[in-house]
Amino acid sequence: MPNIKLQSSDGEVFDVDVDVAKQSITIKTMLEDLGMDEDDDEAIPLPNVNSAILGKVLEWCQFHKDDPPPPEDEENREKRTDDLCGFDIDFLKVDQGTLFELILAANYLDIKGLLDASCKTVANMIKGKTPEEIRKTFNIKNDFTPAEEEQVRKENSWCEEK
Amino acid sequence: MTLYMTAYIACEIYQGCNAHKCFAVVWVSADDLSLINQKLPKELILRIFSYLDVVSLCRCAQVSKAWNVLALDGSNWQRVNLFEFQTDIEGPVVANISKRCGGFLKALSLEGCKSVTDDALKVFAENCRNIEELNLDDCKSITDHTASSLSLYSKKLTILDLGSCTAISDQTLKSLSDGCPLLSQLNISWCDQISDNGIEALARGCKELKVLRCKGCVMLTDESLLHLGLHSPKLTVLNLQACVNISDDGMQHLARGCENLRLLCLSGCANLTDRTLISLSNHCHKLRTLEVSSCCQFSDSGFQALARTCSELRQMDLEECVLISDASLSHLAIGCPKLETLTLSHCELITDEGIRHIGTSACATEVLKVIELDNCPLITDASLEHLMGCHGLQRIELYDCQLITRAGIRRLQSQLPTVMVHAYFAPPTPPTSDGRQRPRYCRCCSIL
Repeated sequence: MPNIKLQSSDGEVFDVDVDVAKQSITIKTMLEDLGMDEDDDEAIPLPNVNSAILGKVLEWCQFHKDDPPPPEDEENREKRTDDLCGFDIDFLKVDQGTLFELILAANYLDIKGLLDASCKTVANMIKGKTPEEIRKTFNIKNDFTPAEEEQVRKENSWCEEK
Repeated sequence: MTLYMTAYIACEIYQGCNAHKCFAVVWVSADDLSLINQKLPKELILRIFSYLDVVSLCRCAQVSKAWNVLALDGSNWQRVNLFEFQTDIEGPVVANISKRCGGFLKALSLEGCKSVTDDALKVFAENCRNIEELNLDDCKSITDHTASSLSLYSKKLTILDLGSCTAISDQTLKSLSDGCPLLSQLNISWCDQISDNGIEALARGCKELKVLRCKGCVMLTDESLLHLGLHSPKLTVLNLQACVNISDDGMQHLARGCENLRLLCLSGCANLTDRTLISLSNHCHKLRTLEVSSCCQFSDSGFQALARTCSELRQMDLEECVLISDASLSHLAIGCPKLETLTLSHCELITDEGIRHIGTSACATEVLKVIELDNCPLITDASLEHLMGCHGLQRIELYDCQLITRAGIRRLQSQLPTVMVHAYFAPPTPPTSDGRQRPRYCRCCSIL
């Protein structure tokens, strides 16, 4: 299996199996459209991903390399978030900074499976919590005035009722 | 714009190096220390929100000013399913959702919300005029007034489920036919006040009708089938289960006009005879699924005709077609090479010879996945031998097949190790009374 080289923003070069790397649609398109030669010794620069995150992303791609391609139908995708596989659950048990960096990298590299899994992980951190608990979880400042807070509470109280 | 596209644009913004940081500064205040708001552009927070239910979104709206804007973004409110939320909701919740979603809402499910009323749905229809899919299954309180509202405002409605809305009448179908010309899928199962007049109006008005489910609409007669045959040539799925008053004449009109039928369910329509199967064989060559359980007048000559022309059949449910014999199976084995699922439960005349035809047919070795033979008292272990070459077989039902032995099942499983066998053998000695009642017939136990 041919390998390609990927260079992170901080200059580290990763030697990767082409099929593993091609789960990134961004890299796949670069290879195909730009006619980049697989035997080429030159590394593909990825200026938006540092070596720590790129290493994690490639670990994810390695584990999922035999997955079927994700469904195209974006609009009808299910809202469920309880369907993450065991590997993804453990893989995404990281600090919030790393988790958000992974979301950014998955988005930039266009890896739908990783983007979905990481976004679902954040969604699961929100579900079932009160507004105050959500603020605490993400360290978000309550910038409503007391009057505004009462107003939005009223506007949204219907979802707590029957 | 779909979320995918916004995410894609975010990706492009992100590529231009510091762009996403300016983005963050634009929408959160400078003293916001939360990593999520600092690091992620709002398109990606919206993507996270796209996995949230109605309740979580309403709570996110109360977190901060920035999150309030994001949580109320229209993209979050295109598809709402209250079934996962709570089914005992009442009018005010539907009204609030309608106002919040407005024109963004394309799909709403109120399945099982028994107390939702015509008034709530009127507010909904007025506010959400772009609705395409509406599920009102089991919303027992609604009447013909709801369809009047939909007829006035819901011009884009394509999929509507009114199953078990037992208070509705023909007037509902007349309203839909007047005001919802794009309607292509309709479920009115168990709405037993619906009659031929309603079906006639529907067929005349809704020219795009492709899927119609009317299980248990017992007042329907051949007249309904005549109008569907005349006006609904696009029909691909039709469920007439337990429409006990239809007959061969109606089925002849239907088959002639609806040559695109892919799925047809006639289970429990006991008036039908082989003439129906012959009509289908003359016109409906695209049939993939045919369910005719308890059509007890169907016989070998009907299935012979069907198998001659309907070679696309994949699923067939012939439960309690008590007249059929091995001859039917030999015709199906020759004429239907794509057969995946075959149900022969309670077909008491079937013998090992019939199963031999299936087991050696074109469909057997690869495509046959499920065969149900429960309550076929004449089949023996020889049938299992005949099925040993069916490498795609996933499940076989053998309840109450008295001549099947454990040894026969074990031999089958040694050839097909992944097959699920469902059978039940009475315990060898009378059970000691341990207080629990043993089921005589249990669908969930599988034998080793």
